[in-house]
Amino acid sequence: MLGFNKLLDWFSNIADHWDTKGVKFTVYATIAVLIGGLFELIPPFFLTKTVTPISTVKPYNALELAGRDVYQKEGCMSCHTQMVRPFKWEVDRFDPTKKLGRDGYSKGGEFVYDHPFLWGSKRTGPDLAHESLMLRSDEWHKNHLLNPRTLGGVPNSIMPAYPWLFDADNVVDADEIISHMKALAKVGVPYTEADYLKANELLKGKTEGDALVAYLQKLGRDSAELQNTVK
Amino acid sequence: MTTEKPQYDDFIVKGFIISALIWGLASMLIGVIIAFQLVYPQLNFELPWISFGRLRPLHTNAAIFGFALSVIFATAYHTVQRLCRIRMWNDKLSIAHLALYNLSIVLAAITLPLGLSQSKEYAELEWPIDLLIVVWYVIFLVNYMATIFKRKEEQMYVAIWFYLASFITVPLLFIVNNIVIPASFLKSYSVYAGLFDANIQWWYGHNAVAFVLTTPFLGLMYYYLPKHIKQPIYSHRLSIIHFWSLIFIYIWAGPHHLLYTPLPDWLQTAGMVFSIMLWMPSWGGMLNGFLTLTQAKDKIKVDATLKMMLAAVTFYGMSTFEGPLLSIRAVSALGHDTDWIIGHVHSGTLGWVGFMSAAALYYLVPRMWNANLYSERLANIHFWLGTLGILLYIISMWVSGITEGTMWRTVGENGELIYKDWIEIVEYLKPYRLFRAIGGTLYLTGIILMVYNFIKTIQSKDSGFVEQDLRIGVRA
Repeated sequence: MLGFNKLLDWFSNIADHWDTKGVKFTVYATIAVLIGGLFELIPPFFLTKTVTPISTVKPYNALELAGRDVYQKEGCMSCHTQMVRPFKWEVDRFDPTKKLGRDGYSKGGEFVYDHPFLWGSKRTGPDLAHESLMLRSDEWHKNHLLNPRTLGGVPNSIMPAYPWLFDADNVVDADEIISHMKALAKVGVPYTEADYLKANELLKGKTEGDALVAYLQKLGRDSAELQNTVK
Repeated sequence: MTTEKPQYDDFIVKGFIISALIWGLASMLIGVIIAFQLVYPQLNFELPWISFGRLRPLHTNAAIFGFALSVIFATAYHTVQRLCRIRMWNDKLSIAHLALYNLSIVLAAITLPLGLSQSKEYAELEWPIDLLIVVWYVIFLVNYMATIFKRKEEQMYVAIWFYLASFITVPLLFIVNNIVIPASFLKSYSVYAGLFDANIQWWYGHNAVAFVLTTPFLGLMYYYLPKHIKQPIYSHRLSIIHFWSLIFIYIWAGPHHLLYTPLPDWLQTAGMVFSIMLWMPSWGGMLNGFLTLTQAKDKIKVDATLKMMLAAVTFYGMSTFEGPLLSIRAVSALGHDTDWIIGHVHSGTLGWVGFMSAAALYYLVPRMWNANLYSERLANIHFWLGTLGILLYIISMWVSGITEGTMWRTVGENGELIYKDWIEIVEYLKPYRLFRAIGGTLYLTGIILMVYNFIKTIQSKDSGFVEQDLRIGVRA
């Protein structure tokens, strides 16, 4: 303890006069926050470049990307996480059919095309990282979004209803989504001319709701495919 | 040496006080609405603009960047002039800052309900607004630094250290996290992907707590607490040690938001270890505040502002004890993603930031408008409503969060999940979430009383302010 006291004495003595030197103080404070900041950001930057790519994980097609935009717009990540932690209870809950096998928790390689990540920080509703493995039909998703408390939905759900997503005139604009894909290509998502051409066909007459359902049906599908090829 | 009193610019302080009152009311009203929405989904009214997912980021942005930042700027302009014994370097820059800042918050209040969002927590605003923020921030920083560098007081008092550290770190965090590729005028994508994006986001997100909601408010405490009670701070040496260790350690804490994710293990561990270490400098600040306060302990009964400072410091101590606890892996396994975290955040924001802000405003309004506070009794009621509200809020969220986490992991004898249906858990938590909403309503009521009290005070401006002496042995 004596050594620690000496250390504190030594430090407070040298730091004591910094408060008369404006520039010196500012520089030292900047260095103090930069040390931790750089250590936190630089090594992981190189490490995440080497995240094992999961060969079956493909970029979102135009319709799925439009759905991902809707997911962000409506703030779905305020209540739904997309991060299954490596606990038996989470793996069992979010992959009940065991499609992903025993290690059905989230891997870094599943998110390589996610700009930004959508892991969320609050799980008020269920996790959606592997939603496609819950084997719900497009129709179920549509009804659930139209009103979570009716039809096949959950009578006591506290989720808001999203009827406007399926308004006939709330169709997705293909040109806009193509521009989104081109922006994503600039940050490294491997979209090709063929993907842009296909966008018009995929998005024809689709509402924001249809796109969101397509996105939900994509979540986890690619990594489950990997399991099939492993077997 | 001249003893002549410098002419300070108080107009800018008043401007930010009024901003704080407006955005404080707005953010907390929205907070109450979304708390009720989580119990009664009908309150979303099937309307896009007021559905939970769009209002929630508006609540956090208005509270952190509308309310807390307004208080920070009001107090920063007030304290820096007095501590440097010099007027702000350039008044026009101050006005430009006030105007552009409020413009950016108004734009936030328009774009977020429209669903225009980068969808990174506390960094939701789209890129044109981010650019506007950089503009007013640079304007402010130049003005603030120039004032400090040209100061007439040789020593920079501890309050300035904390403000200064915040003002140099926040742009660093903000800019690095907000680097995006615009896809159109109102849509952009983060240049970072997946895992690395998460790492950057929580480096930013946790340090928004550190350098927006903690260090400036410690600066505020170090100025207004001794000023209010007319006693020096308890320990200058403690302030040196806890300042430098706080800013050095805090920046590492981000990865505790990403425990049990694919983030490299050593980084998760570093985040956890530094979060636990953070307990010491945090309590250093808490104790220095607390021991300073005890110098006026017999006045706590009679002065609402002092009560708020005491409660704020206590909640600071509580939430900075809870934070390191939650960053321990085993505790995070239970608490992560549950209501417990919401409770933890609000014990810091409502208790520490909210009460410290209110205390500063109760100190400033009568002095800035030169009139006695309209009603000390209303301020006292505000204090009790706020305290009751926070307690109701955090206790219900503790119970709800721990219940939630436990129900998720409960398995039967054969290892099967007992609460397979998610809705069972949601239904079980409903009463706690209702109590949270009621607690929030009480807190909001306190804020409304405060605003009413200030409006009445401002109406009698220039009627002459008489300062109360809170020193021990001096009669109130």
